[in-house]
Amino acid sequence: MTDQTADGRRRRAEELQLPPSAIRHPPSAFRSATRDELWFHGRLVESRLSHGEAIHDERGITATDARDDALVERCEREIERMRQSIPKDARVRLIANASTGEDSATMTIGMRGLSIVTSPEHVMRDSELLRGIAAIEPEGGAIEVRGVPIVWRNGSAAVLLHEAIGHAMEHDHEPLEWPSWLDAGVSLRMRRATFRDVPLRRMTEVVARQSGAPFDVASPHIDVLLVAGGAYEPLSETVTLRVAAADYDGRRLLPFEIRATRAEVARAITGAEGEPIRYPGVVCSREGQELVVGSVAPVMLTVFR
Amino acid sequence: MREFYRKRGSVVRWENGTLVRVTESGVAIEEDGVFTCHPERREGPPAYEDTRVIEVARTIESMIEPPLRIERLIVSDGFAEHEFDGRTWRDETSRVHCSIVNGRIRALVDSTAGRLDDIPRIAVSLARAEQHEREPPPRLRVAPNVTAALLPSLAGLAPPNVELLQTAGGIDGKGMPVEEASADWPNSYRPSYRIRPVRMPLNLRLRCDVTEIEPDRPLAVALLAPLDGLTMHVLVDDGRRAFPATVRVTRIDAVAHEAVWYPYGGGSFGGEMML
Repeated sequence: MTDQTADGRRRRAEELQLPPSAIRHPPSAFRSATRDELWFHGRLVESRLSHGEAIHDERGITATDARDDALVERCEREIERMRQSIPKDARVRLIANASTGEDSATMTIGMRGLSIVTSPEHVMRDSELLRGIAAIEPEGGAIEVRGVPIVWRNGSAAVLLHEAIGHAMEHDHEPLEWPSWLDAGVSLRMRRATFRDVPLRRMTEVVARQSGAPFDVASPHIDVLLVAGGAYEPLSETVTLRVAAADYDGRRLLPFEIRATRAEVARAITGAEGEPIRYPGVVCSREGQELVVGSVAPVMLTVFR
Repeated sequence: MREFYRKRGSVVRWENGTLVRVTESGVAIEEDGVFTCHPERREGPPAYEDTRVIEVARTIESMIEPPLRIERLIVSDGFAEHEFDGRTWRDETSRVHCSIVNGRIRALVDSTAGRLDDIPRIAVSLARAEQHEREPPPRLRVAPNVTAALLPSLAGLAPPNVELLQTAGGIDGKGMPVEEASADWPNSYRPSYRIRPVRMPLNLRLRCDVTEIEPDRPLAVALLAPLDGLTMHVLVDDGRRAFPATVRVTRIDAVAHEAVWYPYGGGSFGGEMML
C-alpha cells in the first residue's frame, strides 16, 4: 500500500534526498562522557574531558557536545579510582568512559617501549607482568619463524583469534573450519568510540576455550609473551601480528611480525592447554575508532608453514 | 605561563552512506607543561550546510563502475572559529577520503571536495590493473597525489638535489602567519582543540632545479597503502599495463613547478615528480 496523501508525497520527496543507507526507524539517542589523562612517571601531563550526544534518525546523525551531568560524574568517579593505582615507573594513559551504550575504565601502561592495556582490578598484576617482560633486553639476530613451533602465552593467542576470526566475522567473511577442540566465542554488537562516530558492528570480546586439545611442544620453540598489535586485511583475508616480546632458545627475540592468511592461521593452530587466560590488552582500531575488546585464550600452539 | 585556546565549529561528514553533522566548542589550556581541554558551554555555531557533501559523495559514487567498487567514502565540509592570545581567525575545511577496490588491490584517494580530478584517472588504471606485484620500472613519474603523500616523510630526509619548504600563507594553530621555512619549523599544527599543538611543517612543497618531466615514463598513479617511511606501494601504469609495485624513494630527478594542495600531514603541495 502506498501513501498518496500530500504529507505522504512530501515525505517520499524528502526521502529521495536522503543518503542511500539512511535508517528508517525512530530516532535513537547516544550520550557519552569521557575523561582521559596521560601520566608520566607519576606526573599528570594531559587531561581531557569530552562529552556529547548523538541523535540518529533517518537523516543521519546530529551530534553536539551536550553535557549529561550524570555521565560526567560517573566517569570522573572512575578516573579517580584509576588514579589511585597508577604505577609510578611508567607512562600511563587512563580512559574512563560512561555512556548510554557501555561504561569502561582502561589503563594503558607503557614501559621501555612495551605496553599493556588493563583495568583498575588487574593493574597491579599486569604491571608486574610487564615489568618482568620489559626487564629483559632482546639479543641476537632475527629468526625465520616459519616452521618453528610458537607457544602463545599470557592469553596472547586471543589476539591471533581476534584478527583471524573476529575481524573476519565483522566483515561477514565465510566461516572457516577450526580445530574441533577449539571453542572461539566472539561477541559482536554495534559500537562507537565517541558521539561523533558512526556506530559499526564491532567485537566486544573474544573468549577462546579448549577441550581435550593436544599439546606437544617440540624444542626449540618460540614463547610469545606480548603482542604489540595486529591487523586484518579484508581484501586478502590476511592477518598480521606484531610480536613485541618473545623468547627463543633461552634468549629474548627482537620484535617480529607474523603474516598469514586466516586459512593459514586455522591450519597453523595445532594445540592448546589449560584454562583461558585474560590477555592484558587489545585496543582495536577500525575506521579510526579505538575500542577495547576483552581477550581471553588458553596457552596455544601454532606452527606456520 | 598559561595559554588559552578556544575553538568552535561545525562539520558535515558523509561516512559510507551516513550523514553526520557535528557541532562543538571547546577550550584548551596549557600551563606548566600540563595540557587540559574540555567542551565549553557557549552559543554553538550554526550547523554547516550539507548539500555539497551529499553532491560530492554522489559524484564520486557515479565515477566508479564495476569491476571497481568503493570500499570507503568519507567526504566532509566544515568551518571553525579560533581564538588564541587575543588573536581570532576562521577557517574552512574540505576533505575527501576514498578507497577504491579492484579484487585484492585498494587505491587510496585523499583530496578536497573541490578537486576530484584524480579519481577518474585512478579508476581507469585500477580497472585494468593486474593483481600481482611487479618490479617497479627503473625510471618513474609520480602523480601529484602520490608526491603530496610522500612530502611529510621527506622532512629531514630529502635527497640533496631537492629542497623541502614550508609554503607561506594562511594561519597556524596559534593564530600566527605561516611563513616560508626550510628548517626549524616555526609554526604550530593544531587540528583539534583536543590535541596539544605541535611544531611541524605546514603546506609543504618540494623544490628542485630540474623541473622538466619526461612524459613517456611509467606513472605511479595512486597509493595502494599508506606510506612506510620512504617506501611507497603504488599502482604503476606504463600505458600498456597497470600493476602494483613497491618503490623505495632514494633519488628524485625532477619536480614540476605546478603543484596542487592535498590534506596530508599539515598540508602538502603535490607536483608531478620524476624518480
